[in-house]
Amino acid sequence: MDRKTEENQFSQNDTILSSALKQKMDYLNDLNESITKGDDLKIYELIDPNRYATEANGETLSEAKPDHFSLAADLNAQLSHHLSNKLIDYLGKTYPFFYYHEYELGKFHIYFGNWWDHRMFGDLDPINVRFNFSEEEYQILAKSFQLELENSRVNDAEMRQLGEENEKLTQLIEDQDKRDRRKEEIRKQLKENEEKSPMPWEAGKVKEEHQQLSDALLELTNIDEQASNSRPKIKANENKILALSKEETILNLEKQNIRASFGSFDAFNENNRNLYAKYIQNLAEESQVSDGE
Amino acid sequence: MSKETEKKVLTTNELLNHYSDSIKNGLNNGTKYVDAFNRLNNTSDKNDLLAAAVELTNYQLNSDFVVFPHQFSDADVQLVFLERILSLSGSKGLTIINAEHVQKLLCKFASLSDNTFTFTKSSKNPTGFFFGPTDYNRPLFYLNLKTKELMFHGSALIDYFVVDLEGTTVSDSKAALEVLLKVAEILKESFGFKIDFNVLDGVNGEFYEFAAGEIPEAIMDELFVKSADNKFILMADQNGGASLTLNDGTQLKVYNSGNSDRPKWGAAIYDADQKESWLYLLLDYPFIQEWYLDNKKQLEILSNQFVFG
Repeated sequence: MDRKTEENQFSQNDTILSSALKQKMDYLNDLNESITKGDDLKIYELIDPNRYATEANGETLSEAKPDHFSLAADLNAQLSHHLSNKLIDYLGKTYPFFYYHEYELGKFHIYFGNWWDHRMFGDLDPINVRFNFSEEEYQILAKSFQLELENSRVNDAEMRQLGEENEKLTQLIEDQDKRDRRKEEIRKQLKENEEKSPMPWEAGKVKEEHQQLSDALLELTNIDEQASNSRPKIKANENKILALSKEETILNLEKQNIRASFGSFDAFNENNRNLYAKYIQNLAEESQVSDGE
Repeated sequence: MSKETEKKVLTTNELLNHYSDSIKNGLNNGTKYVDAFNRLNNTSDKNDLLAAAVELTNYQLNSDFVVFPHQFSDADVQLVFLERILSLSGSKGLTIINAEHVQKLLCKFASLSDNTFTFTKSSKNPTGFFFGPTDYNRPLFYLNLKTKELMFHGSALIDYFVVDLEGTTVSDSKAALEVLLKVAEILKESFGFKIDFNVLDGVNGEFYEFAAGEIPEAIMDELFVKSADNKFILMADQNGGASLTLNDGTQLKVYNSGNSDRPKWGAAIYDADQKESWLYLLLDYPFIQEWYLDNKKQLEILSNQFVFG
């Protein structure tokens, strides 16, 4: 076989190669043009044509559309930054309780609310139009919604336990006088006991009484020590209770805000799942409106 | 022998003249005093009233030859001045209650039933006086008619009106405070006194500086939780500060007016009428009052250390 036949076994020719390259160039041109024109709708189509067709437009594809996004994938951060503008405007209306901070080009932290000590709730992904909630923060909120149905709160048990402990410790401090009086009594009894000169057959009983009194005295002094150490403990518990009530206050505000915008936690989650489709539809409607003008 | 006795030997006639001159001088001095005292008590001219009070303060009435057994103290003069300057401006919010005998004068506020107040002399400034409740050694303000200064003492005002007068209605407490504010206003407008309103300053944005400088986050957390319990939401503000919108759009801001190396935390209040001061805020919002008292060590508002210290 000569070399020529070997090269042609895949029916490769320059026309095909050229057309493939042209497609890529067209893709980048389209992307560039959409960016200059501010046509975010088109950008989303170019980023993921298959998701765009199925999720946003409800098409059923018999075969996958050509996807050239890998050509621009290294510009992810820049694209994300560009797309965030309109997306955050949209989210400002639909999720008025979320706030975003671009901590790195194209990367956004989500904050829940703008109240004191609001929680960092995860990241916003403008390219994929998706909230990436922090698993831990999200789970606490989900739990709070769940417990609410049972008339309970996330930190109830711990707060109750700390409160009870503080009550006990306060009681220990308050009972100091009572213990002092009791110790005085015991000391007197001990003295009486020690002054006895018992008959030999009573000696065992007197000794036993002495032991009992000494034990009782020791126990009371042990409690005294606990009481004298309890003030810092009470303060520490109060601080813990404060931190827990703060968390509950924040969860309450989050729940209130979700209800005000979505009615329920389920509806909120449902909306998050359909965020891509809803946003693309919104962009489509807006572009129609502006076309009509 | 001293030179004087050598030089000058007085005759009997001279000695007796000297004696009668001394009495005359003493009596003239007394007449001058009476004149000033009458002006203090009767004049209807504000400037004349102030001049009389300044003249009578530290007045050396007794002399070697003439002694007046019944005298009002310098502190009493300040109180008479206070009552008169108010009445010349049409205010009857404060009255002297025991003028029947020459003694330490006390006064009462119309709205504060039996609580009496009086002036005491400053040990540092000969013309400075502290005004405070008779039963507590706590100056509510410092008054110096000569140097034209009036300074309110923030934490003492809070201790008295918020803690000691607990149970008094807010409107009664405010009525008494309005009298004090009226005094300050008259002194400022009529004579150009320098006034430090401290916790009574209602001007928007007045910075009430906390004693601690740095405020631990737990204290802010407590305000957040207490606010939420009262249906107010403490919002995060710039530079780690916080803001709280209260009734009628009144806004409280708590922030660091220094920097991270030298923190200077404090509060400012904004309201449409520019009437809400730190003290009024504590009276108006029991949960803020509770927060302040729980953390008084850190949140105490500083007053002039030199005058009151």
